[in-house]
Amino acid sequence: MYEFKQIVRLDFINLITNPMWVFFSTAFPFLMVLILGFLSSSDWGKSVTAYDYYGITMMIYAALNTATISANSFMEERIKGGNLRIIHAPVGPFAIHFSKVIASFAFGTVCHLTTGMALHFAAGVHYGTTGLAGALAIIVLLEFFASALGVLLCCVFRSESAANQILSLVITLLAILGGLFFRVDGLGSSAERLSGFFPVKWVCTALFALVWDNDPSLLAPATAILLVASAAFVAASSMIFHTEDYI
Amino acid sequence: MNPLLEIANLEKNYRERKVIHGISFSVFPGEILCLLGPNGAGKSTTINVLTGALGHSAGSIAYKGIPVKKNSRAFKGEIGIVPQELSLYEDLTATQNIRFFCSLYGIKGKELSEKTDVAIRFAGLEDRAKDKVKTFSGGMKRRLNIACAIAHDPELIIMDEPTVGVDPQSRNHILDSIRELRSKGKTIIYTTHYMEEVEEISTRILIMDHGKIIAEGTKEEIKERLAGDRELTVEYEAASPVDAGGFMNIEGVRKVTPIPEGVKISSESGVENIDRIVALLMGAKAKISNITCRKASIETVFLQLTGTTLRD
Repeated sequence: MYEFKQIVRLDFINLITNPMWVFFSTAFPFLMVLILGFLSSSDWGKSVTAYDYYGITMMIYAALNTATISANSFMEERIKGGNLRIIHAPVGPFAIHFSKVIASFAFGTVCHLTTGMALHFAAGVHYGTTGLAGALAIIVLLEFFASALGVLLCCVFRSESAANQILSLVITLLAILGGLFFRVDGLGSSAERLSGFFPVKWVCTALFALVWDNDPSLLAPATAILLVASAAFVAASSMIFHTEDYI
Repeated sequence: MNPLLEIANLEKNYRERKVIHGISFSVFPGEILCLLGPNGAGKSTTINVLTGALGHSAGSIAYKGIPVKKNSRAFKGEIGIVPQELSLYEDLTATQNIRFFCSLYGIKGKELSEKTDVAIRFAGLEDRAKDKVKTFSGGMKRRLNIACAIAHDPELIIMDEPTVGVDPQSRNHILDSIRELRSKGKTIIYTTHYMEEVEEISTRILIMDHGKIIAEGTKEEIKERLAGDRELTVEYEAASPVDAGGFMNIEGVRKVTPIPEGVKISSESGVENIDRIVALLMGAKAKISNITCRKASIETVFLQLTGTTLRD
């Protein structure tokens, strides 16, 4: 366990000391919410503002992008050499790939929750009252889901650039079909039914219900979907990851 | 003496292709075993199989008599690996790199700090210990690459071409460090392309090609057994009426190669025949301008065994 903690600690340090990732995970969503909120403020009312809407959707989008962070924490050129040496150390293969999931999850959670707080104070973004704990739980689980997804794709493609190319497609698809930036029902009933198979749709709906209506009815299914999907991703990574492939 | 590491009938296949063909050898405590071979000979694959980074298709590896397969985690904990590629975190300092890799062997607290300091001194990086690796020269990175592998004080150290691309000063430092490790009782398996390094540090040599061991022994044994030929180059005036074929009648002469300056004669070592060669030349009234006698080197043996065809 001590060795695993050491790897997670280093992976976290590698992420937090990378200015690009810190910017991408904090300033980028913060500025996006301010810009989109300002531009579309006239389209929204006073009880739920544009800042409230984008404060939530951008938080979900940023959490999904943790997948690219975990892919990079695994095989980014700058750290790949050092990571490869871990293969020779007396740690099991599970510790090698799962440490990246944990470190990216921790990094994403810290960055995005900080950004959420900053948005609350700077733009009055509302994250719920009685539903706040549930909303935070969903965001945190989504971070874990995305981290596990990023590492899984890295294990599949064994290359950070290939994983990132696929991830950008997957994230965009999840965001669109999850109804992050516009309502999916506008695309027709088939698209709406299809979106029900994507976790982001459940996350999005559950968060809106929790934050704006104090309705926790979708919290359990959204949580369960994220937990099951994350566990499946980690299990698949364990099956696919063989140290032999990286020598 | 019981071997520290015993490899028996080791095979490695990549799908249908066999890259290691049932090799067997032992590594004894305190020796520096140099693994030589051209590109694609199977050295790095052998090293990676030994370290457990790659699995093997058949055969066995035993460390201190215990099969490694049954106890691979413990085995990994007792060895140190210097990979061929620089395996460092460029944005961390030398100290941070060593501390991290050392901690993966379960070392913590005061012991971790002490071992890190020892490794920093070993690499000669005391003045740069707090600097980021990305500011280091190639030689410094190579030294740190080794320091990260030995910090946890392993008994067996496996080095895969640790001096590639370093300046002569760093290479000397590395070779001195390896001798120092041996003097402390460490056992080293060392692969390289540099024959002079093998001549300098090896206590025993294994030559591999096409996934097989084609020669094994101390450098003296290998030279004696496989390249017993002594090479004599005699330079004389071109106009001298020397019948080069006449040298073949002299005892011990194996091969005569005419060269523009005279003749090159390969002769069995241990047969004293230089006087007869010179006498033949004198008899032919050759005007000798120079005679050089060269004993076979490891490089000669290596090229003789593996051929001179280019390998990629």
